[in-house]
Amino acid sequence: MDRRRLGQIASGAAFLAVCAVAVLIVVSLAGGGSGGDTDLEDVAVVREQLRGIPQHGTVLGDPNAQVKVIEFADLQCPVCRNFSTQIAPDLIAQLVRPGTASYELRQWTVIGDPPHTQSAEAAMAALAASEQGRYWNYVELFYRNQGDEESGYVTDAFLTAIAKGAGVPDIGKWNRDRRSSKWDRILARSDSEAADLGFAGTPSFLVEGPGGKRTLAAPTLDDIEGAVRAVE
Amino acid sequence: MPSERVLRTIAGVLALAGIGVATYITVVESGGGAPQCLAGGHGCETVASSSYSHLAGVNVAVFGIVGYVLLLLSALAAGDVARIAGLATALVGFGFSVYLTYLELFVIDAICQWCVASAVLMTLLLIVSALRAFGYAGAELMSGARAAHADEL
Repeated sequence: MDRRRLGQIASGAAFLAVCAVAVLIVVSLAGGGSGGDTDLEDVAVVREQLRGIPQHGTVLGDPNAQVKVIEFADLQCPVCRNFSTQIAPDLIAQLVRPGTASYELRQWTVIGDPPHTQSAEAAMAALAASEQGRYWNYVELFYRNQGDEESGYVTDAFLTAIAKGAGVPDIGKWNRDRRSSKWDRILARSDSEAADLGFAGTPSFLVEGPGGKRTLAAPTLDDIEGAVRAVE
Repeated sequence: MPSERVLRTIAGVLALAGIGVATYITVVESGGGAPQCLAGGHGCETVASSSYSHLAGVNVAVFGIVGYVLLLLSALAAGDVARIAGLATALVGFGFSVYLTYLELFVIDAICQWCVASAVLMTLLLIVSALRAFGYAGAELMSGARAAHADEL
């Protein structure tokens, strides 16, 4: 091999190296995160709010906590969004993070005409994120980027951007999971539970503990703290 | 200019350190956890939980292990093929490290010390591999030519 040939091989290797980096970056952007999360609001806020708190399915905080705060909510609902952004952060910081209560959000689809297609799409996307421990990240980030109800903003692209922003590790698996028929049963169960509890709209709350149960509609933080003390 | 032997030794040590870092990240993440940051904070948790931590479903750190193993092999091997292959691999590793660091700083908004450690190792490996390739590629050719010239004389 002469010097000239060696130079040609080295140039070829350098070119291949540059191509390899380009391919890695393209695959990363296509498969990992398209960068869609950069257009979302409050990705860092949600991450900070939930940091270090355990998630088990749809339950945030210690699943064995004596008191359970259970919210019935629709991701398209603006009142639920207001609760999520204005009251839930304090609820999480003061009751869930210290382990006083666990916090569950059950998807109760009520917005739009039955079968509430857009709300159900959103609910199933969030439930699919629960399979990868990112349910609450999904819910909170969805609320913080919520559009006008039934305006058609709940598209695959929107739901996927939320999933990426919520840090769902395997987007391919999430995409398959959200099409699962098992969510239909879970949504139907929320419907019947809400009816049994006499709930009329979202967000409605069930607070359960050793001391009994309390139901609340669109409560303040004081209302919830009072109910938690009452059932402790 | 350090001797090629010294450069190969340094590259080997750096590659071994890189294998250690990438293996640690892979093992911890496959257990469902996140690498611990030495100085506290949750940067690693954030980076590990981001959708960018996987490439086509495979943890990015696994690609790191493969890259460092190739660099170790090229450090152990002699000759032009090893020199050029080492430089090419280090170029790929360095380029991808630059991209990942960009993601950490400007997209994920979190820095993971283990990823930074890997990026620093990869940068050093690029420098060492470049010194080796540019300083010694064709060395056998030159000494062969010198020997042939001496024979003629």
